[in-house]
Amino acid sequence: MTIPNEATFPVASPGSSVRPPASGVPRLLPRTPDGKPGRVPQDLAAHQGTHGSLPYRGGAGRLIGELQAAGLTGRGGAAFPAHRKLQAVFDAARVTGRQPVVVANGAESEPASDKDATLLWLAPHLVLDGLQLAAEAVGAGRAVLYARAASQGRRQGPLDSLNEALARRRDARLDRVPVRVVQAPPRFLAGQETALISHLDGGPAIPAFIPPRPAERGLGNAPTLISNVETLAHMALVARHGPDWFRAIGTRPEPGSMLCTVRRGDGAPRIIEVAIGAPLSVLLARSSSPVLIGGYHGTWVPASLATPLTLDNASLARAGARVGSGIVITLPPDRCGLIETAQVVRYLALESAGQCGPCLNGLPRIAAAMAQIASGRPRRGVRADVERWAGLVTGRGACHHPDGTARLVRSALTVFADEADLHERGRCSASRHAAPFLPVPQATARIEADWR
Amino acid sequence: MNAASSSTWMWYASRATGVVALLLLTAVALLGLMVSRQARLADLPRFAVTGLHRNLSLLAVAFLLLHVLTAVADGYVTIALDSAVIPFTSRYERLWLGIGAVGLDLFLAVIITSLLRGHLGRRAWYAVHLLSYASWPIAFAHSVGSSGDMQSGWMLLLAVACAAALAAGITWRVRAAARDLPRAQRVHALMAELHARKPRAGAQ
Repeated sequence: MTIPNEATFPVASPGSSVRPPASGVPRLLPRTPDGKPGRVPQDLAAHQGTHGSLPYRGGAGRLIGELQAAGLTGRGGAAFPAHRKLQAVFDAARVTGRQPVVVANGAESEPASDKDATLLWLAPHLVLDGLQLAAEAVGAGRAVLYARAASQGRRQGPLDSLNEALARRRDARLDRVPVRVVQAPPRFLAGQETALISHLDGGPAIPAFIPPRPAERGLGNAPTLISNVETLAHMALVARHGPDWFRAIGTRPEPGSMLCTVRRGDGAPRIIEVAIGAPLSVLLARSSSPVLIGGYHGTWVPASLATPLTLDNASLARAGARVGSGIVITLPPDRCGLIETAQVVRYLALESAGQCGPCLNGLPRIAAAMAQIASGRPRRGVRADVERWAGLVTGRGACHHPDGTARLVRSALTVFADEADLHERGRCSASRHAAPFLPVPQATARIEADWR
Repeated sequence: MNAASSSTWMWYASRATGVVALLLLTAVALLGLMVSRQARLADLPRFAVTGLHRNLSLLAVAFLLLHVLTAVADGYVTIALDSAVIPFTSRYERLWLGIGAVGLDLFLAVIITSLLRGHLGRRAWYAVHLLSYASWPIAFAHSVGSSGDMQSGWMLLLAVACAAALAAGITWRVRAAARDLPRAQRVHALMAELHARKPRAGAQ
């Protein structure tokens, strides 16, 4: 198929009376009249007042070239180019003759993250606009919004408010494809693409081996586009303001802005929208404590190494880290990184689907060894065991759960090596009575129904 | 008929390769049961058990082909090549050779789908692979039924040993599956076990 030249399509929608906003942040999250980040959910009227009408492109495939020009990458963590994903689904639809499905992935099953729930809460219509535009671009006949049920400190569950938003859109006859809202089970792997497909097809939210890729054979065997909700919101802005506007901030290989979940102390995290390539230090606490970048499949980085970095994969790679889904956590000085990591690894092990040998057999062993290292007086050689097991489980599962867990554990053993020496002498630098800092859900799957 | 086919060596070769093929098929079946349970054999890693299962099955194909070709080429009795694969068409020992042909066809189906596994869905491959459970008893019936050798003496013992080994293997397989924890409980069980275990000083 040929990608139409993006110049042949109007950048702003025909009836739009809204002039392009300033290209800086925040772009996705609502602003107060004085330009500060707003904290009030944007209803349909406010959304249309800010962003204008929904700029349908009038045919499948047309938005794809614009997304390529914009250089938009997936904000779910993998940073895969959005246009290539859409193109794969578009092509698969032509080859198979099946009408595609589009899924907005708001499972956000990473406990440390809250950016997708916040976006769905504050700017649901931007995501739903993106969902319709993506559906049009790949020629989909239906769409699914997959979101988690629990929300941190909000009165209304996100599913209710999303159904309400969809009802308003139905009244206004905005949407061209029907959208079904589905609740994601509270499992760490629920947002993984093949687990998502399995759940939406009525099975347990458990990863499967690929191929087939969801883009070729996904939901009900139809070509399926699975896109993070933030990525869809960016698509809605690219469709309105064009690739050049999108590229006005960010770096050349990684343009635009991204939502970050920032934790610098106890209590609720802050959701901050930053330009990609911004100094990482704006997201860090002013302390010399290590930083966890990328969440529970991410990497611990010492403060001295983290402070000069910028928030983009090219820079973070120097510290062996990746932007991921934008989780940046500074460890409070009174907490022990080994204790924190051990309880996260225990959670990750318990969240294994228990179907691939390396994960089923490896992660519990790594978790038990980390618990020993954290609890003080570990036996000799246990750190070497963890290193060896981490190497053994990497790259051998149906999904990347063992790989991500191994990455977290290895970086913890490197960054907290001095602390581990201290533990071997029966001491710990953290205050003894501090409660665990990193959020870890206590309810893990006990029966098969917990995966549904 | 050439000189070779009028001598008896090909007849013996056919019988010998048939016996070896039965032994190999028994080993392949036992290894397959182990692979399906992700069991380990002695100190071999699991992938080596899978590798052994695959390689011995290919070796069994080679012996089966020799078994069939020597039987066909041998001039003592007349067996058409097509009756080796088309069941119950042989004029000689129609029943027992027919059963052998059925067993061979089933085995070839299992082998060919396994070689093409990358192009098949897992379910389709697995459905065909279940035919192994039919192909072994059929091959066994052919071995004992078509050959007077295997009905007495140490050859009979060998046949009984093969059957007993496979019966034991299937019993083990079924009982192990019955003991299986549901998927959602496997990690919990292992974690509980690891936490209950006392740290072993200096252990690997």
